[in-house]
Parts: sequence; structure tokens; C-alpha cells
Amino acid sequence: MDIDDILAEVTQAASPQETRDLQELTRAWVAERVAPEILPYPDALMERVLERIRKQIELVEEQTGNMDPKTNFRLIVIQTELERFKFLVRSFLRARITKIDKHPLHISQNSLSYLSQSESRYLTAHQTLLSSHYQSSFLSQFPTSLHRLDDTTGGISMVDAPDADTAVFCRALNDVGVVNVEGTDRAFEINRGDCWVVRWSVIRDSVLAGDVELI
Amino acid sequence: MYGELGNKLVQHAKRTQSLAHLPPYQTEMVRAVTREVRDLDKDVSAILEPFAGSFDPSTDAPTACALIVNHMCMKRNKRCLLAYHRVRSDKLEEMCWRGIDVLERQQQQSGKNGAEGSASLGAEVGNTSSLSPEEEEYVRQYSDLLAAYKGQWTDIDLTGSLEPPRDLFIDVRVLKDAGEIQTEYGAITLTKNSQFYVRQGDVERLIAQGYLQRLC
Repeated sequence: MDIDDILAEVTQAASPQETRDLQELTRAWVAERVAPEILPYPDALMERVLERIRKQIELVEEQTGNMDPKTNFRLIVIQTELERFKFLVRSFLRARITKIDKHPLHISQNSLSYLSQSESRYLTAHQTLLSSHYQSSFLSQFPTSLHRLDDTTGGISMVDAPDADTAVFCRALNDVGVVNVEGTDRAFEINRGDCWVVRWSVIRDSVLAGDVELI
Repeated sequence: MYGELGNKLVQHAKRTQSLAHLPPYQTEMVRAVTREVRDLDKDVSAILEPFAGSFDPSTDAPTACALIVNHMCMKRNKRCLLAYHRVRSDKLEEMCWRGIDVLERQQQQSGKNGAEGSASLGAEVGNTSSLSPEEEEYVRQYSDLLAAYKGQWTDIDLTGSLEPPRDLFIDVRVLKDAGEIQTEYGAITLTKNSQFYVRQGDVERLIAQGYLQRLC
């Protein structure tokens, strides 16, 4: 343990839950926008954030009648913060929806547990909608052997998967150790505080474990 | 024959991607490609018929080749059709997210184009509306789905702006009369060419719909 670790512990303990939540949300938002794959839905965090947004809205509604310039100014600050929080949540959810729409079959086959309840409901409903649209537009007149939408035979898979080899920028939050880039003979060591541009597939597990953040 | 029409369809889809509006649905072409698939399927069964289920590709290479070509063409046509419809439905979804009422706009257009008859009649004729009846149904259902998903996030407007907010209040100019709106600071009557300093969250919808213009 060196001085950095001690300092980190001190700052972690000193910052209240709210600040850490904001940090976490920002981190999740950046990661979701950068990573090619969908990431686990932060259930507890989202609940806390939404709860706080609701409380702030209530507070603002209660205080609006107040003409005292001091509270009025405070209110403006709160509202600005509220708008920013809302933006973060909105952008985060929209980034997820975009991914869900882009690789629906891949996600429903591989990472369904990463979705929140409402997201998986959206995914299934959207898929049923799409396939019935195809069905009524042209597929019903096809020979039955060609009806499937997730056919993987014949050399071409119909399931579109995200490209796990996309390069991403990342920063190490903890020491990860030596990692190997699959398919090449490159190996390098990731230390705390390092910034790297690597393939997503290489650091995927470290990101999910929270040792590496995407930037 | 053999995928030529499918290619045209894909070119259409490619062009659609870079257009702001949705070009008319190619009913004829879609039908022709589907017909081609059915014909190919008939061909396949005709070729296979004399063998009565005991076809061995290694003994009869030419027939096997013909079968493969037919089969690949069917698959390719299916891919083309799927791609074409997907591009269009993506576009429609995007419009739903941006809060554009696709169906209403369609009716307006068809009302304008079809000189005689009502708007609904113009849509029925088909060549004036750029959506197929199936697509119209799809849009209707997708909007419902979207509304249902959005409804779970009561405090956050998911279809709102994806630009990071900078200021709480902004200057706007009214482009079209929008009537009276309620804000926390009382009601404002939006008359054309007037300017206001309002809270961004209150007027975001109106900006998206083109009633207001943001001044920098």
C-alpha cells in the first residue's frame, strides 16, 4: 500500500453518497456510450438517483411560490442541477435503447440479464412488432423454410453482433496486471492510473469488475 | 431474375438512409422479389421431385449446383427484403423518437397530393402515401410501445434533447402562434414574433415541434 492508496481511501470515505452516486452515474454513462456492447444495468444506483430527482422536483414545486430572493436563487441552482441530472439519465437510457435496437437478437440470446425489467419488456415487444411487420409485409409468402429470422446456417449468421474488437480508451482504477491481446503476441501490463487504447474484448472483464473505467 | 431486383431494393434502401424524408414504399418491387422467391422455390421442388427425397449431391453435381444457386438466391432476396424493411422501420422509429407524428404528416401530404377526395381517401389510393399499410400499422404500434416505455420514467422526458443543458433559462423567439403555456412563473401567451426568456425544460417540446426558435 503506498501513499496514493491511502489518499484514495480517505477521499472515498470523505465524499458523501450523493457525490459518489453522481460519479458512478457519470462513469456508467460514459462507459455505456463508449463500449460496443451493452453493460449491466445499475439497478440500485438508478433507483437512488431517480428517488433523489423526484425529491428535488418536489422541493422545487414546494418552493416556487416563495419570492424571497435568497431561496429563489437557491432554487435556480437546484433546478440547473436537476436538469443536468435528468440529462445524464436520459442520455444513459437512450444509449442503452440504441444498443438494444441495434443488436436485439444478440442481446436476447447472450446478455438478457444485463437489461432492466422494462428494457427487456421493450426488447421483446419490439421484436414481436418487427417480426409481425416483416411477416405481413412479405415473409408470409415465403416458403416456410425461410421464415426464421435468427438463421445461422449457410455461412451467414442472421444475428448481428456488436464488434468486440473495437478500440476503446480506458483508464485503470486499480492494478490489473499483465493482459494478453488475443490473436496477437502482444502483452502489456496495466497499472493504476494508466491510460490505454485497447480492444474492448481485452479489457471487458476488468471494466465489468470495476478495475478499469472507459473514457 | 436471380437477385437483380433485390439489388435494386438494396440500392433504394441505401439511398433512403441519407434522405431526410421517407421515399414512397416500393410495393411493386417488393412484390416482384417475393414472387421471384416463390418461383425459385417451385423450381427447387421441381428439380427435387424425380429424386423422391433420395437425392445425393455427390453423384449428381450439376443438379446440386443448380439447387445451391437457387437456394442462395432465395436467401439473398430475403436478406435484401429484410434490409429494405429494416431501414425504413428504423427511419420511422427515429421519427417516433423525435416526436414527429408520421401518420398525420402522411395524411397531410396525401391530402395535398390527391387533389380530389378527402385525406383518408388519398391514403387508401396508396400511391400518394409513402408508407405501406403495414408500415402505418407498425408506426402506430411502435408509438404505443414507446409511450409505454417512456411512461415508466415519469420525471425524465426520454425524448428530450440529447444536448447537454448549459443554461436553465434561454431566449426564444416565437415562429408560430402557439397559444398559452403554463410555467412555474405563470402563464405566457406565445404570439408570433415575440421573444421570451423562459426555462428550457418548459419549452423544449415547442422548439422540437418548430413553434419556437432558440436564440443564442
